[in-house]
Formats: sequence, structure tokens, C-alpha cells
Amino acid sequence: MILRKEFIHIFRDKITLFLVLAMPIALVLLFGFTISSDIRNAKISVLDQANDSQSKKLIEKITASGYFQVVSYPNNEVEIDDDFKSKNIKLAIIIPARFEESLSNEHEASLQVINDVSDLNVASVLNNYVRAVVHSFTEEYNSKTGETTPFDITTKMLYNPEMNSVYMFVPGIITLIMILVTALLTSITLAREKETGTMRMLLITPVKKIHIVLGKVIPYMIISFISTIIILVLSVFVFKMPINGSIPFLLFLCIIFMLTAASFGMLISSISSTQLDAMMITMMGLFLPTVLLSGFLFPLNSMPMVFQVLANVFPAKWFILAIKDVMIKGAGFFDIWKYLLILFAMAVVFISFSLMRLDKRN
Amino acid sequence: MNSIEVHDLTKQFGAFTAVNHISFEVREGEIFGFLGANGAGKTTAIKMMSGLLQPTSGTAIIAGYDVRTQSKLIKRNIGYMSQRFSLYNDLTVFENMQLFGTIYKIPRKELKERIHTSLKELDMDQHANTLVEAIPLGWKQKLAFATAILHRPKIVFLDEPTSGVDPIVRREFWKLIYDTASTGVTILVTTHYMDEAEYCNRISIMAEGELKLIGTPDELKKKMAATTINDVFVKFVRR
Repeated sequence: MILRKEFIHIFRDKITLFLVLAMPIALVLLFGFTISSDIRNAKISVLDQANDSQSKKLIEKITASGYFQVVSYPNNEVEIDDDFKSKNIKLAIIIPARFEESLSNEHEASLQVINDVSDLNVASVLNNYVRAVVHSFTEEYNSKTGETTPFDITTKMLYNPEMNSVYMFVPGIITLIMILVTALLTSITLAREKETGTMRMLLITPVKKIHIVLGKVIPYMIISFISTIIILVLSVFVFKMPINGSIPFLLFLCIIFMLTAASFGMLISSISSTQLDAMMITMMGLFLPTVLLSGFLFPLNSMPMVFQVLANVFPAKWFILAIKDVMIKGAGFFDIWKYLLILFAMAVVFISFSLMRLDKRN
Repeated sequence: MNSIEVHDLTKQFGAFTAVNHISFEVREGEIFGFLGANGAGKTTAIKMMSGLLQPTSGTAIIAGYDVRTQSKLIKRNIGYMSQRFSLYNDLTVFENMQLFGTIYKIPRKELKERIHTSLKELDMDQHANTLVEAIPLGWKQKLAFATAILHRPKIVFLDEPTSGVDPIVRREFWKLIYDTASTGVTILVTTHYMDEAEYCNRISIMAEGELKLIGTPDELKKKMAATTINDVFVKFVRR
């Protein structure tokens, strides 16, 4: 019955309902089309000092990749400089003289890449594209000639050879939405009952505490589950994100994380007495760390040790690790059971703690 | 028969004693006024009597059940209405009553009938589908009371039920309390309004966690040589 009541609350509050369902769509599209760090048709210049069959092949490959658009073929390095200034190129590639000869005779060849690093992100992305293209060129050359590595490129890019940023942000957005919808709304709805005094009314009735809490949390878990499915559908059909693992298992993982997020929401509501408190604590204490410390936007291993340790406390990190493994690497239960266990254990601890608090406070 | 029997009931929070060895009885169908300044320990005492809080020591038998071991049975047999209006604003009048009725496991058909009867008595039957936030405070209080007795409890705890409503509604509210008590329901009410205390069959005054005075309004007035309960209270506080 509390479940039914909570649904009535949700459907009466049309604005929140709309926000909760429209937000994931807006977020995915926003991230997908604007914040996306994929670059297509970047303007580049190529100075081909070799002008032999292999250098032509390489240029062809670079053009065919779709990432680059060769806008000029300068004759010397001075002209490259001009291209950066007047033609607004992002990158220039210099293929040295005797390219083919070096490849076949010295088993070694070099390329020079000049970057416009005024935009650091663009530069590093383009640089990686060049590496990827050169890498595949090398492999082709090797397979034809039977030679061994003429290029000294050791970088290997597994799973995401095109460095698609979709692979990064979809798990991230799913995490954010689930935290926002489940944890934030759970903590607010529980705090609201306390604030208005209805929690006291409920506690004085014979209904079990766990039923009160479940009745209040389950509707938000269902909504957040729907949001998750919307995100997944969008990312598969609009952004061509692969789901390599089993879909039922992926959804199971999401449910476990939702439970953890909801339990975090309960924990927050148990230490706050008003809706405003609950909202502030969720934003500062959960949402912000999720964005910063989950490895979603900023890589964890480049952070100071303190933050790396701190990140372990928040469920988001474990979930992102797990969901990436499932979606991209196609991991199954036995590959990621540790992450599942951590998330589940967190949920159990948070739920029991907040039930205890509920007892004391009212 | 006594429906509330409290003996040496005590609650300590750390070093602080919120309720200190209080003892009293309330007869079935009696309206018992529970007076005292804020922080005197009234709310803590009510929490213990309604099974929300375990006492540190002492006993309380509520509707024949022990608060220590039978709190679930107590919860089934009491009603509660708090000082703050505490129904859901975004549910309709009917939905609110239905929610609490369902929690007490009143059969569906029966519940519907009870809600309609009780709304008719309150003259609110045409507002069954109005959102609670849209009705005036006085009505809300009456509605909260009707909801609290929907499951026919043996005892109703009213925690400052009339705070903030105008005198006319207060009088109407007290009529509701009398009507309910006349059916054998025991009422334990806390209030700030001393004139309301005169309406009670018996009253008690708490201070610093102790039950200082107990008796009928007339007995207390005689004892303190006062003309009104308000005087009793003022004299008591000055003492």
C-alpha cells in the first residue's frame, strides 16, 4: 500500500516525473553530440618528401580513415607553418625522403607529426588517430612482405581501437542517472516524510519498517531502471555502442547498482532531517564524488593516492568498472563477481545502518 | 477497567532523564489531559506508551498489552495524531484515509463504508476527491482525527491536536473527542490551551520529567486555590 501511495505521489508530481524520464535522453544526446571528443574530418597538411608508392599508400590510408581531411600538400616546412596559421589545420604529417627504402632496407622508418596543441584535448585525440592509422598501415605492410615491425610503435589499443568516447560516457551517464534518480529521489522522499511528520504516523502503525522503506524505494528503482533502458537503447541505436556481454546480465548488474544507490539514499536520509539537507548531502557527498572519483571523466590512476583510496568508498567506481567490462569486453558473472559482491555488501551495510537510525530518530 | 496503566515509567538518554518514574492510570472511555511545558517529557512518555520507544525501566500496560514485549499488538490497538498536521498533502482525502485503513488491514469493502460514514459525520463527503492541500487547516485536523480512529482503536493519543486552529474549529474538534470517548475509546490528549484542559475528565501536569499533579480539573483548582486551570498552571510554575 505504501508502494501504491508512492506511485500516486510520483504521478501527481508531473514535473519531477518528466524530468526524471527526459533527463537521461537529454544527457545522452548532449554528451553524444557536443561533449563527444570524437573528431571527424580534421583538417591536416601532408608534406610528402618521399613521394614513393609506400608514402602514397600511407596518405591514402590516412584520408580513407575518415578522421582527416587533407587540405593541402605543402612543399616545405615553412609552408606548413603557414597552413597552421591561414588554413587552420590541426595537424601536419611529414613523411621523410626515402620512406619506402627505409621501410624495406633498414626495417625502420619514421614519421614526423606536428600538432596544434592550442587545444590539448583535440591534439591528443588526433595524435592517437594518427597512431591508429599508422599501426594498421604497418600491419598491412608486414603481412604483405612478411617482415617484422618496421615501425617502432608499441602502443596497443584494445577494445576501443578508434578511441570512441561513447564507450566512456555511456557507462558514466548510466551511473549518474542511477545515482541521481535512485539515491537523490530516495533520500528526498524519505526526508520529506520525516519533515512533514508523516514518518511518525507510519511508524506508529503496525506496518513493518522494512516495508515502509521498500515501499518508498521500489518505485524509484523502477523509474531509474526505465531510464537505464532508455540510455542503453539510445546508445546502441544512435551512437552504435556495442553490448558485447549478455543483456540480461547487464540489467542484473544495473539492478544491483540501483540497490546500492538506493541504500546510499537511505543512508543520507537517515542523517538528514529535511528535504533540503538530503538534497545538499546527496549532491555534495555523493553526486560530486561520483562525477570526480569514479574514473568516468578523470582517470583515477593519475590522481593523488588519497583520492584513489577515497574512490573505493563510493559505489560508482566499482559499477563503472563492472559495466565497462560487461558492455565492452563481454565479461560474465565469473569475471566481475568481485565488483558485484562489493556493491551488494555496500547495499547491505547501508540499509541495515539506516534502518537502525530510523528506529532511533523517530 | 483501566486501559492505560503506567508504573514507574522511566526513560534516560545518556545522563539525561527525560521521563522520571511516572505512574498513573487512565480508565476506559476517559479523556485524560497530559499537560506540561515544552521539554517536560510529554512526547517521550507518549512515544513509550505507543510502542515507539523502549522504556529504560518501569512498566506500561496499554490496552492490556505490555509495551516491552507486545508493541506490535499495541500498535494495532492505538490511534495517533500529532501536533503537526500529518496527512499527505498530495493525496486526496479519500486516498489518505484509504492508505491508513489499508495499513491496519481493514477489509476493502468495509473500509470504503467506514470512510464514507466518517466523511459524512464530518460533513466532508463532497470533498472525498479533493487534494488535502486544498482544504483549510481546521478541516485537515478533523480529517487527521477521523483517520486516526478509522481502525477503531481502543486508545487514541492526540499530541496537541488543536494547535494553530481557530476557536470555533477547536470547539468542533472537542465535540468530536467527546463523541469518540462516549463510545468507550480512551483519549490521551496533550495541549497548550489551558481552557481545553477544563474539558478533560482528569488532567496531569508534568515538569522536568516528573508527574507533579494529577486529578480532575476541580480537584486541582481546589488544591491550588485557583479559579481556572490556567491559574493552577501559573501557580504551579511559580512554586
